[in-house]
This record gives sequence, structure tokens and C-alpha cells, in this order.
Amino acid sequence: MAAASLSTRSAMLLSALARSGSLCSPSGSRALHVTAVCCKNHAARVRVGKGDKPVTYEQAHPPHYIGHRKGWLSLHTSNLKGEDGAAERTIEDVFIRRFMFGTFHGCLANEVVIKRRGNMLTVCALMLQKLPPLKFYFLIGYSETLLSHFYKCPVKLEIQTLQDKAVYKYL
Amino acid sequence: MAAPMALKRELFSLGRVLRRVSNLGPRALGACSPHIQCYKIRSLLPLASSTSFHTSTVLPSTPSTITVTEEPDTLFQRVKVLVKGHDRAVLDSYEIFATMAANELGVTQNKVYEPPKVMERLTLLKSIHIFKNHRVQYEMRTHYRCIELFNLTGCTAQVYLEYIQRNLPEGVAMEVTKIAMEKVPDHIKEPMWEEQPVEDKPSQ
Repeated sequence: MAAASLSTRSAMLLSALARSGSLCSPSGSRALHVTAVCCKNHAARVRVGKGDKPVTYEQAHPPHYIGHRKGWLSLHTSNLKGEDGAAERTIEDVFIRRFMFGTFHGCLANEVVIKRRGNMLTVCALMLQKLPPLKFYFLIGYSETLLSHFYKCPVKLEIQTLQDKAVYKYL
Repeated sequence: MAAPMALKRELFSLGRVLRRVSNLGPRALGACSPHIQCYKIRSLLPLASSTSFHTSTVLPSTPSTITVTEEPDTLFQRVKVLVKGHDRAVLDSYEIFATMAANELGVTQNKVYEPPKVMERLTLLKSIHIFKNHRVQYEMRTHYRCIELFNLTGCTAQVYLEYIQRNLPEGVAMEVTKIAMEKVPDHIKEPMWEEQPVEDKPSQ
């Protein structure tokens, strides 16, 4: 949005200067050369700040490190050459991530990892110890039954809890 | 990513533990298996003291019975297993596992090679509206690994493939090609012109 507004402003500036340039002297005038704003990449990146923002390993690495320093958050075969079903798997993943975020509200320490093996769906998540264990177990059972009824396949939840978020560095 | 990797390792170790437990005799230990699992989990975890682990109990499958039939077993000249995945390290470890399993089952002749990877590239517009000069490029890498086994029986092939497929890691796909050997049918064993020379005379 900032890029769009800057470019429109620059376009207006250029047109104004062109008009003024043509009025005062047709030849030998110096005009302002403006290009469209060089769009910076903002995808999945945390911008460097003062040094007080705690950031996990997952958040600290931009997406070009996937396969080199990062792993995959969703493991399925539909993106391989000659395999289909990528769109359905992606929609299922998005729903599962929103569902987990909503059910365990404020307890997720890191991104949810979704693994598909045969017919089975395994959802792995790291949680903070905000709720008593009894409530955790109830929510785990509730999510498992609900998701297995939605997707008609066995769904397993692998949860691990931590005291605090695992901070990789401060940006 | 360190924590989920540790989680993955624990899951594998947990899988091994559960398989061991299920092998011991699931029906006898049905009541106390959760406790055994919990104990074994705590001893295996090298993490900080204040972490807890939950896993749902794995239901043991019924053991398959051994059947003996009179008919001869099919013979396979070649069984080709092509595994594809996004991660080369996963395919490396799977190859070690598959070759070890083949050696244990007595299949000594095997060939393992790596067909070249295939990269599918997309170049899309970076912005939702205009700015045609600024694009984003994505690529999807598919790594392959081919394991070929030679001269095995149908029973061996069935057992091997079932074992391999049950332990296929997530995110890895497999294609199996089997080439079977059949006995030459009796009616084409000898050429026809040698057997019945009498039939040629009426046509003349």
C-alpha cells in the first residue's frame, strides 16, 4: 500500500514537473527522473528492529532458507511431480491451523506441523503451559474427534508443552 | 525449527517403543500399556524437566496368519521401487533402511541409483495489481531414488513391499513396478511347421 501511494505521488510529481519544464524552457531543462518504487520482499520475514523483539527459529529465517536451514511445516505428497490433490491438502491445512489457533487460544508456542501418512493426519504442536493439564487433555480429545469427523480419517494430535517460547534471537 | 526436529526424533523413538510394546502381546498388556509408554517416554526424553508429552494410544493391528498353498509362487525378475520426495536427506535415510531390509530378507542382488532431480518453476507477479516488472519466482524440487531388486519370489516381494510401505515417511511418495517371469505356454514351445506337415497338402 505504501508502495502504491509512493508511486502515484511520484507519477503526479513527474507530470507536474514535466508541465512546469515545458512552460519555462523547452530545451536544456533538467527534469526529475523517477522510477516505480523497488518493491522490497516482505514475505514471511521479521524486520530488524531495536533488539527487544523475541523471535523463534521459524520466524527468524526468511522463506529462501526452506530446505536449507528450515524444514517444511506441512508434509504431504501432493506437491511432488506427477501427484495431485495439492489444493485440497492446502485448504485442509489452512483450516487445521486456524482451528488449532482458536481451540488452544494463546497457548501455541510455535507453528503447527501437519504430517500425512497414508490415511492418517498427524498434527504436531508446541504449547505453553497456560492451562491445567486436565483442560489440555479435554481440548486434545475434542480436537481429535472433531477433526476426524470432518476429514473422515484418523487424526492424531502430538502435543508438547513448554514453560516459555523457545527464543532463537532478539530482533 | 530445532524444537520440532527434536519432536520428530522423539516421535520416531516413541514409534519404536510402541512397536516393541505391541510386539510383546497387546491383549495381555492392554490395561497397563499406557503406563509402560509413559515410563519409557520419560526415560528417553533429554529435555528440560518441565515438559510434558501426550500421545494417543496406538491400537495394535491383528497379526496376519501364515497360509500355505499348493500352487507355485510367482517369480519376479525385477521389482523396481521409485521413491520421490522434496527432501534429499529423507530419501538417503529411507534408502539405507530399504537396502538393509532387503539384505535381511535375503535379497542380495540389488541396484540403487539416483535419477536426476526435477525442478518445477513458476514466475508470478509480485503485486496483486499492476507492477508487471516485479515478479516472484517459486520452484518445487522433486528428488528421486530408485531401488531395484532382482530375482525374488512372490512371497518375499509381498512381505518386503508391505514392510517398506508401512514405514514410508510422510511427504514421500512411492511407485512400484514389478516384472514377473512366466513359464512359456506349451502350445508355442515347438514351431507349428515341424509338428504337422500333413496340413500343407490340401492347400496345394
